[in-house]
Order: sequence, then C-alpha cells, then structure tokens
Amino acid sequence: MNPLLRRLRADLFATPADGALSLGLIALITAAAVGLVQWATQRAQWAVIQANSTLFAVGRYPADQQWRLWLLTALLTAATGVTWGLLRCHPRADRDGTLWPRNDLVVLALLAAVAFWLPWVLQLTPALQSRWWLLAALLAATRWLAGRFGSQLSRPVLRLFPLVWPLIYLTGMVLISGGLGLMPVSPSQWGGLLLTLLTSSFAILLCFPLGVLLALGRRSDLPLLRWISVIYIEFIRGAPLITLLFLGQNILGFLLPGGLAPDRIWRAAWVLTFFAAAYLAEAVRSGLASVPNGQIEAARSLGLSYPQTLVRVVLPQALRVALPAMVGQFISLLQDTTLLSLIGLLELLGVARTVMANPAFLGHSAEVYLTLALVFWSCCAALGLGSRALEKRLDPQTLSRSSSQP
Amino acid sequence: MTSSPNNLVIEARGVQKWYPNGYHALRGVDLSVHRGEVVVVMGPSGSGKSTFIRTFNALEGSIRIDDISLGNDLRQIDAIRREVGMVFQQFNLFPHLTVLDNLVLAPTLVRGRSRTEVQAQALSLLDRVGIKEQAQKFPGQLSGGQQQRVAIARALCMEPRILLFDEPTSSLDPEMVREVLDVMRQLAQEDITMVVVTHEVKFAEQVAHRVVLMAEGNVVEEAPPAQFFKNPKHERTRRFLDQIL
Amino acid sequence: MPDPQASLDPLDRPPWWRDRRVVPWLVQGVVALLLLVLIAFLLGNLVHNLTTRDMLLSWRWLGQTAGFDISETLVPFNAEMPYWRGLVAGLANTLRAVITGLVGATLLGTLAGMASYSRNGLLRGLTRTYVETIRNIPLLLQLIFWYFVVFLSLPNGSAALQIPGVVLAKSGLYLAGLGQGMHWSLPQLVNGVWQAPLRLSVEFAALMSGLIIYSGAFIAEVVRGGIASVPKGQWEAATSLGMGWFATLRHVVLPQALRVIVPGLNTQYISLAKNSSLAVAVGFTDLYSVAETTLNQTGRALEVYLLLLGAYLAMDLVISLLMNGLNRFVQIRER
Ligand SMILES: Nc1ncnc2c1ncn2[C@@H]1O[C@H](COP(=O)(O)OP(=O)(O)OP(=O)(O)O)[C@@H](O)[C@H]1O
Ligand SMILES: [Mg+2]
Repeated sequence: MNPLLRRLRADLFATPADGALSLGLIALITAAAVGLVQWATQRAQWAVIQANSTLFAVGRYPADQQWRLWLLTALLTAATGVTWGLLRCHPRADRDGTLWPRNDLVVLALLAAVAFWLPWVLQLTPALQSRWWLLAALLAATRWLAGRFGSQLSRPVLRLFPLVWPLIYLTGMVLISGGLGLMPVSPSQWGGLLLTLLTSSFAILLCFPLGVLLALGRRSDLPLLRWISVIYIEFIRGAPLITLLFLGQNILGFLLPGGLAPDRIWRAAWVLTFFAAAYLAEAVRSGLASVPNGQIEAARSLGLSYPQTLVRVVLPQALRVALPAMVGQFISLLQDTTLLSLIGLLELLGVARTVMANPAFLGHSAEVYLTLALVFWSCCAALGLGSRALEKRLDPQTLSRSSSQP
Repeated sequence: MTSSPNNLVIEARGVQKWYPNGYHALRGVDLSVHRGEVVVVMGPSGSGKSTFIRTFNALEGSIRIDDISLGNDLRQIDAIRREVGMVFQQFNLFPHLTVLDNLVLAPTLVRGRSRTEVQAQALSLLDRVGIKEQAQKFPGQLSGGQQQRVAIARALCMEPRILLFDEPTSSLDPEMVREVLDVMRQLAQEDITMVVVTHEVKFAEQVAHRVVLMAEGNVVEEAPPAQFFKNPKHERTRRFLDQIL
Repeated sequence: MPDPQASLDPLDRPPWWRDRRVVPWLVQGVVALLLLVLIAFLLGNLVHNLTTRDMLLSWRWLGQTAGFDISETLVPFNAEMPYWRGLVAGLANTLRAVITGLVGATLLGTLAGMASYSRNGLLRGLTRTYVETIRNIPLLLQLIFWYFVVFLSLPNGSAALQIPGVVLAKSGLYLAGLGQGMHWSLPQLVNGVWQAPLRLSVEFAALMSGLIIYSGAFIAEVVRGGIASVPKGQWEAATSLGMGWFATLRHVVLPQALRVIVPGLNTQYISLAKNSSLAVAVGFTDLYSVAETTLNQTGRALEVYLLLLGAYLAMDLVISLLMNGLNRFVQIRER
C-alpha cells in the first residue's frame, strides 16, 4: 500500500470509533472553511479596512510628515536585509555554503508576495504601491549584498554592526517625534500600528535589562537585594495590568512633582516596561538556575571578576536557556499593548474601536476585528518562529549533532 | 610578604573552615608547599580535601590561621585567583565557547593581553596536551578525557604559579584516566607547583614529592610516597590504605 | 603584583572597603539608602500633592450614595446604596466570573490537552491549531470579538438560535433548568420575550466565552506538558496490560502528570483571575469597572486604587493557597 495512505489510515481510521470521529471532524472543518470563504468573498465588505488603512497604520500622524515614517521603514528594511545576509555568511559549521539557502528564498518570495498583494487589496494609490515595491526590492538587494560581500568585512566591523540597531532606534525616535530641525509631532497624534509597535518595542528593549537585574537580585546572596526583587516581582505579578495602567494614568501624577510626569503615552509605555520586567525576571531566573555552580567557580578560579563572570560566562548560558520563555513574554507584551485602548490611547485596537463608532461602518466589525486578529497572529507567530530558529542557531548541542553525524 | 629562604609557596597553619550551616569542615589544617613541589592529598570521602584545596583559591571563605582571620581582602583574593589555577572533577568548561575561546577568555579579560598573542599560546598549550585539532570544537563535542585536558590547558593558559587538581580523573572512564594522568606527569616534570587530590596510588608513587592524608578535617600524616604507602606511621593511614589498595 | 604568600601573612588586615566581610553590607547599605530616598521622594510628593488638593487618605466617601446602577448583580444593589455596597457587588461579579471561568477553562483545557495525545491525527492537529491560534491573538481582541461580533449580532425573539435546552438571543443566553416548583423546564417564548430558569446576560456570556477559550488554550499546554513528563514506558506498560487509550490516560498517566500540571495550573488560574478585569471592555460590571466609575465620580484615586489592588492580591493569594494545598496532596499521593 502507498505509505501516505497507510499513514492516513493509522492516523484517522485506526478503529471504527476513530473513523467516525474523523469523518465528523472532516465534515465540521469543511463546513467551517466553506462558510468562512463564502463570508470573506461574498458578504464581507472590506471597504472599512481600505478606507481607513492610513488610520490603522499610523493614526492621526500628519499627512505631510508621513515621509518620515517611510524613511524609518526604509532604514529598518535595509538593516533587516543586511543583518539577515550577515547572519547567513557568518561561518558556522552547520550551514551550507550557498548564498541563498532554500528557506531564505521561500521567506523572500513570501515577503515579495505580501508587498505586491497588500497594496492591491488595500487599494492604495499607485504612489504608495510603488513605495511598497521599492521596500521589497531594498530588502532583497541588501540581503544579497550582505550575503555576497559580508564575509569580506573585517572582524571589528562585524562586531560593531549590531550597534546599528540601537542607532536606528534612536533615529526612529527622532523621526517619529520630531526635533533636531524636524517639525515636532505630539504623541497624541501617534496611533494605530505605529503606536502598537512603538510602545511594545520600547517596553521590550527596556524591560530586558531591568528583568535581568531583577532576576540577578532575586538570586543574590545579599538578603536586602533578594527581598527587594521578590517584593517587586510578586507585587507586579499579583496585579492585573489594567490596574497598573490605571495607576500610571491616575496616580503617577501625584507621585512626581508637578510637570515632571511624562505624557500619557509615555506613562503607559513605562508601565508596560515595569510590568513586563517582573515577568521577564522570572523567565531569566529559570535560566540562571540552569547554570551549574561549577561554571561560576571555574570562572572565578581563572581570575574573572564577578561582573566578568556574569557577563561572559553565566548570562550567555542562562539567557540561551531562558530564550523561549523570554520570547513568550515578549509575545504577551505585544498582545498586552491592546490594553492601552482601555485607557483611551489609539493603538491598533483603539483605532478599530473609533472606526467602529462611525455609523457608516455599522455592522462590519467582524471584518475589522478579524483583520486585527490576523495582524497580531502573524506578528506573534513570527516572533515564536524566530525564537525557535535563534534557539537552534545558538545551541552548541545541535551543532555537535549535525557535525558528529557523518 | 614572607619570602622564606627555601621557596615556600603555600603556608597554611591552623586553617579553620565553617560552612554556613555550621559544619566544621576544616579543624586546624597545617601544610607547607615549596616551589616546584608536587603534593598529593588523599583521604576518605567527606574528610575536607576539596574544602581545603579550595581555600587556596579563595573559593571558600573564613580561613583562619593562628586565630587571625585571613583572606578577606578582596584585592588579594583576586590576586590569588590570578596566580592559582584549578582543575575540577567535573571539568567545568564553558559550554557556550569553543575550546580555543575557553582558553583565551581569562588571559584577555584578566591580564589584558592581546587576543592574537593568547591564541598562539593557547594553540601551543592544546598541542602540548595533545588536542590541537579540537580547538574549534565546542566542549560538548569532546570526550571526558579530552575535556579534562582542555581544562588543564585552560588553567595553564593563565600561567599560574600553582596548579590545584580536585580529583581530576574521578569522573572519567578508565581508558581516559591515563591520557589525563600522562599530561599531569609531564607537567610535574616541568617544575610546576602542584597540589593534587586524587586516589591514583600509582600516580602518587611516581610523581609526588609528598603525600598527605586528611581525615575529619585534619592532616593526619604527611610523608614521601615511599614511606607513606609502605610504612605509614599512623593507624588511621593504615586503615585508609587497606581500603583503597 | 601581590605575591600569593601575601594573603597568608598573619598580619593581613585589609582596609574596610576591600574587606569581604564589609563590602556586602556596604552594597546593601547603599541600596537601602537609595531606596529610602526614592520612597521618601515619592511619598513626599504624594502627600504634598494630595494635601494641596485636600484629598489625603480618607474613607468617608465609601458611605456616600453611589448614584449608579449595576445591571446584573449577585448581591442586591441599586443607585441609592452607598459606594461600598457597589464595590462589594462588583467583587461578587468578579468572583462569579472567575469561578465560572476556572471551571470552564479547566474542563476545556484538560480535554484539549488530552486530545493532543489522541491517536487520531486530525484531532491532534485540530487541538494544535486551537492552541496556536488562540495564544497568538490578544485576549482583549477576542473578548471584543465575542461581544460585538458574535453575541450582539444574535437575533431576538423567535429568530433566536435554538439548540435543545439552550436559546441564544441578543437579549441573553437562556438555559433549561429546574424552574418554579422544582420542575424541569425549557426556555419558552412568552409574548416575544424568552423566559427560562437560567438566564445569562450576553455581556457575561461574551466574557466567559473569551476567558474560557483563551485560558483553555494555555491550560491545554500545561496538561500536554504534564502528560509529556510521564515516561513512555508507562503508556507501554498499561497498553501491554490491555488497557485502552482513555483508560491508560485516565488511570495511569494523568495521576502521575498531576505533579507537573498542578503548579502550572496555579499560574494559569492566577492569570485568569487577573484577566477577568478585562470584563470592562464587554460591558460586564465587575470590580474593576465599579472602581473606575467610583473614581470618576469621587476623584479618590489613591483609595480606590488601594482597594482594587488589595482585592486582586487577596484573590491571587487565595488561589495560590488552594493550589498549594492541592499540590501537597498530589505530591504525597505520588509517593
Ligand atoms: N557547601 C557546603 N555546606 C555545608 N557542608 C558542606 C558543604 N560542602 C561540603 N560540606 C561538608 O564538608 C565536608 C567536607 O567536604 P569536602 O567536599 O571537602 O570533602 P572531600 O574530602 O572532598 O570528599 P570527597 O572525597 O567525597 O570529594 C563534608 O562532610 C561535606 O558534607
Ligand atoms: Mg571532593
């Protein structure tokens, strides 16, 4: 018998009861899929998304300043392409030497498809459409260049390259908020995907060092540091995020001298940061616990100082173990940004709710919310996939397996 | 600084050690080690051998000598750690670094030497312990014996004045014990001061200048190997030798 | 460079800033000082800001008339009652949501976790899809979807969705149950209005759908991890004794998996309790939304916040205590 058929039979029709169950499920899934496709192609009216695509993307960001965001996107695209290419040409024993491994081509094809399909679906103007294509081309070009010539870069250049990312982040902050000769755009005009990505990336970047410090504190030999960390972590983890956002909006103003309290958006971003740090600390702690004591002893006996031991020996091992849990926390942080809509900020979900308040779009909430769900799902799933890939790349054990097999 | 005429490197007198749980692990240990000497420490499990040689490396605290607390100066502790190398039973190689980087890490960070210079030295050390080909591999890809030899090379790369071994062959398969002992023998001939905790009697007989027996947190007997194994003075040593020989 | 002998010098007395007996206390002292300064600064500002507004901690407002209504309550409440009664009613609603959610999510999660070990490949794939879909979509979005897209678009009256014993209408969820005179009675349409022994508001139904399906996905992962922690040999041993798939799971594997599952459940239960505060987004009046209304009316931010935080911390504590008890029970039985 055909192996595929045999596999199907073992999986679906092992016993009569199993067979009945399988048939029932197949019927159910088919019905659901057909219903969904029919709805999406016939009854749904996607005009609500098309008409508001700018609002969803950037909120009320002034139209004549949006070129700054395009510039930032181009910078990010180029940096992504170069990083991607450099990762590929960095020598690793488990890597095949081709310039374009198959999965890279697949990913690029997918991205290109999105770059073509999305502007078409959103019925963007030709000017905007061409920008999307340019971005896709930029990604492919930088990826190719870095993959082709990256191996010729000298070691110091390669080591300094990651600094490009914080630089772009700072540049991005200036581009978004203005200053340094650019017209200022007040945070109340930021919105949509821009605000979602801004707050979540801000919180992810800052909660990381904070979480590591808290985790170290919790495992410290010094009782005071331990207790401070424990109290902070447990306090934050005991309270719902919405009550903390509430604290940030209503009470933070009382805790700081007049005028020192930041803008509402930044307050929320800081609350997200402090919130995520407590959860991240727990993830890092499990990683720290997995590093044997002998590692610290060996490092100390070689003369490394405590900070050197931590940075060069303990953390690289601990963070690798903690990586899946940490990315899990980042994923929930990204999802938690939706709570900003409950305190009146117009991130993606907030924009969606204001759009739904417009009577012109009455009865089309399903289109909007399903689209948002798809956006969040893709972002989170991509983060999860990326973390799994990174985990594999960082694990010397997979390396040993792949090279010890003849 | 007490620089004695006969090149005393380690001088421990009346070393005491309490663990945080109150256990009195070392109860006044005396030991002197001279430059270039190889001292083998033996003793039953739990007698405090590991605790004792770790005090040299300031991994354990609260050493007292003649009723005066010592080893509390953080700067001197760091200095000692730079000058004393240690090889552990469990190897304790850094799994996230290649073999070469394991060797290069400390000299560049602690002594501030240039990477290229240390790399050359590391490669020659790896050559000396017979695993130059494995320099680019990760520790997880090596056998136990190879890992322990890397650990020895790593300790040597810091150019220590004293090398401490805590049961370096105890977690190795029998056929790998020899390759590690061979390396240690070779080191002993090169005039490196070594304190070795081990139960390898043959190694002690051939290489050691002195053998020390520890029991219940004390040094019971201290003698050249010939005398220690053939003609021990103390009843406790005799009983111990009966068990391991 | 100091010689190693130096440290064995009996006269060695390091200066205090290099003494390893002193430095740890020094570090802690500095940290404590910084912390105290920070706390004093924040508290000082708080007291200053509140006294200038004449809003320093006071609880008298709790007795004032609330003036707002709560549409569905377990404990009686109306607009003439004082604030504290409103907060109690909100707490009761939160507890109702949390307890219903816990039961529902545990059932769904356990079933899905078990199904992910099914022999049937389709069922396994379906549970994976369920878990991977639900976990990657924000809960708030799911809740809003259930409320605005699903429940608010249900038809009313005779057009309502009817499953034997259950009626789904825009005006609420009607369930069969023991009605007046302890008779079993089904939902009935009386003058175009549904009547039944049990009615759930659509707000509550939306909250429960969202919470149960979301937490169920996480609990399914916990259960799956627990089952994975039981050695394969146990399955083989039970199968070789002639036990079926379900009997093996029920009598051999799950009891052993509980050791791993219970601590994981604790985390999930606590996050469900905290997530119930998102009820405010679907118009179900729980503790948080009563607190928000109270704050808007009285301006008593600090007091309201302290009450809110105290209530949630207490809820977490109770869940943890119960689960720790269960954990001890499970671990002892294991031996
Ligand atoms: N961190 C610790 N806390 C409390 N007691 C300890 C600690 N480490 C060791 N001990 C105790 O101190 C005693 C000496 O331990 P040590 O490890 O020095 O023995 P050993 O001679 O090396 O034994 P072995 O041959 O088994 O390695 C033992 O009784 C041990 O239980
Ligand atoms: Mg020992």
